[in-house]
Amino acid sequence: MEHEELFPLLCATADGKREAFTRLYSITSGQLYAVALKMLKHRELAEEATQDAFIKIWHGASSYQRSKGTVLTWMVSIVRYRALDLMRYHNIRNEVVLDAENQAPATQMPLPTSERRRLAECLDELDQQQRQAIHLAFYGGLSHQEVVAHLDTPLGTVKSWIRRGLQSLQRCLSL
Amino acid sequence: MNYQKESLRNALAAEYVLGTLRGGARRRYQQLIMSNQTIAETTWLWEQYLNGLGEQIPPVAPDDAVWQRIQERLGFVQAPSATPAEKVASRKPVHWKNSALLALAASILIAVLWTNLRPDVTAPITHIAVVNDLQTNPLWLIEISDQQLRVMATDQLSAQPGKDYELWIVPANGNAPISLGVLPKRGELKAAAPDSLRSVPINVLAVSLEPLGGSPTGQPSEVLYTSHLINV
Repeated sequence: MEHEELFPLLCATADGKREAFTRLYSITSGQLYAVALKMLKHRELAEEATQDAFIKIWHGASSYQRSKGTVLTWMVSIVRYRALDLMRYHNIRNEVVLDAENQAPATQMPLPTSERRRLAECLDELDQQQRQAIHLAFYGGLSHQEVVAHLDTPLGTVKSWIRRGLQSLQRCLSL
Repeated sequence: MNYQKESLRNALAAEYVLGTLRGGARRRYQQLIMSNQTIAETTWLWEQYLNGLGEQIPPVAPDDAVWQRIQERLGFVQAPSATPAEKVASRKPVHWKNSALLALAASILIAVLWTNLRPDVTAPITHIAVVNDLQTNPLWLIEISDQQLRVMATDQLSAQPGKDYELWIVPANGNAPISLGVLPKRGELKAAAPDSLRSVPINVLAVSLEPLGGSPTGQPSEVLYTSHLINV
């Protein structure tokens, strides 16, 4: 599921080629649906987010540019924003989250790209609490308040873990 | 806040992409992305930093019905008559604020009345929009055909002196807004329908406050109102 494979499919999609879009869907829909499902927890909502994301990808294929990341990263961005919108519309609260679900994935995907490997290395360099707070927000779609409830830590501390964690991540990634 | 400051820009972009920027702050940030290229680029940078995390979780195949509905929505295949299951799956947000619902209802009512009363014109109207102020008073009525963009200012509009109002397409794909020109402050304005109205998937229309003559930068200076296009 690498950029080199997806990029020509996205270009053909931008050109209105349905077969290319079908192929793009068959390669990437599992990843996008998994992201939506982890955030939204409900199957119907995750399906709605996935549908909306692919509608947007079909219409917006020509707006992709390399400065927005790899094709897959760009697609993940689209489904995450949609999932965050749906959480807001449906007033979803993430008060109870199973620990195992929102920790770092236990198994790495096979053959990570250099970008993914670099991200994993930089995350490893963060303090454990910073990493955990960022994981909870990213994978579970938790708000600051929800991270507070989950970790039983004051709001100021949680905000500072996330802020400083993100700063360290940027320093590491831009090296 | 000074959005020019790099550290603040990065902090906001990071929390927007992470999803911890919420509520009014999130909506304001979305408007900033539309109106400020540096902020848009900082946001893309953070999408690259963080969204790779989403590629690290094991894929889960969605139900076949998801692809079926995508094809139906894009018009690739005919939709079978809706079953209860589909209605549930495609249900719309239910937590509308009353005021938003009222504003929408009012817009549609005005739009419907107005479409019915409008005299015949050569090309059929394909889309209309009503730009409301924050108190949901209609300020401009917009109708679009394949050939023409027609905008009418209502008497509810009390224009700020020394300023112009500019109309923009906000593309659905997150690209920079595209100007449709300066809006009339009274009476009506007819113009040839720009190609961008047909070629660009549109999220919303936006109206910005500008110096006389329109935006000096080619991007909206201050977004005041947004309005959804309604298919007719």
